[in-house]
Amino acid sequence: MKRRDFFKTAALTAGAAALGTSDLSAGETKQPIDNRKISDVAFPEKRPLITYSDRPPLLETPREVFTSALTPNDQFFVRWHMPDIPQYIDEKSFTINVNGMVKNVLKITLDQLKNDYEQVEVTAVLQCGGNSRSAFNPTAGGIQWGNGAMGCAHWKGVRLRDILDRAGLKKGAEWLAVSGSEKAAYYETPNFVRELHLDELDDHVIIAYQMNGEDLPYLNGFPVRLVIPGVYSDSWIKMLSNITVTDKYKHLFFMDHAYRVPDNDCECETPEKPFPKTKPIYRMNVKSLIGYPVNGGKLTHKSHTVVRGVAWDGGAGIREVQISLDGGKTWDKAELDDGSQGRYAYRTFRYSFKPMKLGKMSIMAKAINKLGEEQPFAKDVKWNHGGYKFNGIDEVKVEVV
Amino acid sequence: MKKLFIIALIALTPLMAQVKGKIEVPYIAFPIKMGKGFDAVQANCLMCHSFGYIINQGRQSRKFWRGKIEKMIVHFKAPISDKDAKIIEDYLTEHYGNGK
Repeated sequence: MKRRDFFKTAALTAGAAALGTSDLSAGETKQPIDNRKISDVAFPEKRPLITYSDRPPLLETPREVFTSALTPNDQFFVRWHMPDIPQYIDEKSFTINVNGMVKNVLKITLDQLKNDYEQVEVTAVLQCGGNSRSAFNPTAGGIQWGNGAMGCAHWKGVRLRDILDRAGLKKGAEWLAVSGSEKAAYYETPNFVRELHLDELDDHVIIAYQMNGEDLPYLNGFPVRLVIPGVYSDSWIKMLSNITVTDKYKHLFFMDHAYRVPDNDCECETPEKPFPKTKPIYRMNVKSLIGYPVNGGKLTHKSHTVVRGVAWDGGAGIREVQISLDGGKTWDKAELDDGSQGRYAYRTFRYSFKPMKLGKMSIMAKAINKLGEEQPFAKDVKWNHGGYKFNGIDEVKVEVV
Repeated sequence: MKKLFIIALIALTPLMAQVKGKIEVPYIAFPIKMGKGFDAVQANCLMCHSFGYIINQGRQSRKFWRGKIEKMIVHFKAPISDKDAKIIEDYLTEHYGNGK
């Protein structure tokens, strides 16, 4: 049997399918879909994950991984935009090109990146703006992600600022157009280019070559990717190969049309009445996820149970996580880790209790950040056409036996 | 026998974790529905993305699917003929529609 045939057979039922929509009344946001099967097929350097597409690869991390502060590289989610990803990167010849309005055009090799610049590290959450999109009703446009289009890693690399300083910005420089090595099937298709305003860059923005102490996995952007702590992952360019400095914002498809929400206070609209003005999704809102127990899990009656999970936001930092065991009527504080991973990282939480009543029960988690912003109930999250930025209070339903 | 062993090793290399040789992304056969117009879907859509990309959008309206096809033509420059565009729209609405 040829390998391709094998995959065909093996994978026939492996693909996630989002069909079978809710019976809830129209317009009410619900919990994201959480019962997708893990694929039988593993992608390179990955364990089998929830698989939405092979071309481009779209892989989701299952809920139970989110009990720990760092997400293992082989379980870290994957999202590409273009079908053709280089299958091989030569570490000796690969360069990051810095050009445009700079005094010195740079072609930085990996060796230079690792030796000629100050090496810095940051722990940061990488979350797709469309994470949890399947919560929206009616169904929003885009891949119907569950909760696992995210992860948190310890990144090592070089400050983008330091590289730009070495290149020397010319007067009037204002924007960076950043792109990687992925390619479309058609020559005419616009490349996946993201534009960053220089004001958006702080010292935490790095070009990373290491993730949790290892080389970046190929599908997470080997050999280098951009890391923009606190900000949704649409501009965390993978296989970063080009930075062009410009004075003007170029109206590119992936900037003007993708990853945008209504530019109003609630960032909301209705399918019938789309809001005309939009803005980038940008900074992450406050959110949490329960990693244990998972939906459909069984707890033993009167046993010592520890609910575990992670909470994060756009960099203000998590102040508190609260747990409700009565459907959100009353809340009790969870214990948080010491926060030593920094304000851009997952803050892990734990909550001990003994389930005293047999039968079905609900466990909810709500995070509050240091600005006092807290997660709304899932049903109160307002709709937007792209299904971005869902941050409803998480809920798992378990059975006490 | 030795030769065979070496060949087997080479064949496995791309699948081994942390090896920076050539990688190969596996092919997944997503369970797309067969029906009228499927040939046009296969001929036009598969150039750029898997069937998974279609079925994992969830059930959507005719307007949504028409919009997606237009996006592929206008923004992503997919060379889809007007005739095929209509066939694909009908197929998607029938098999992945939400009744609207």
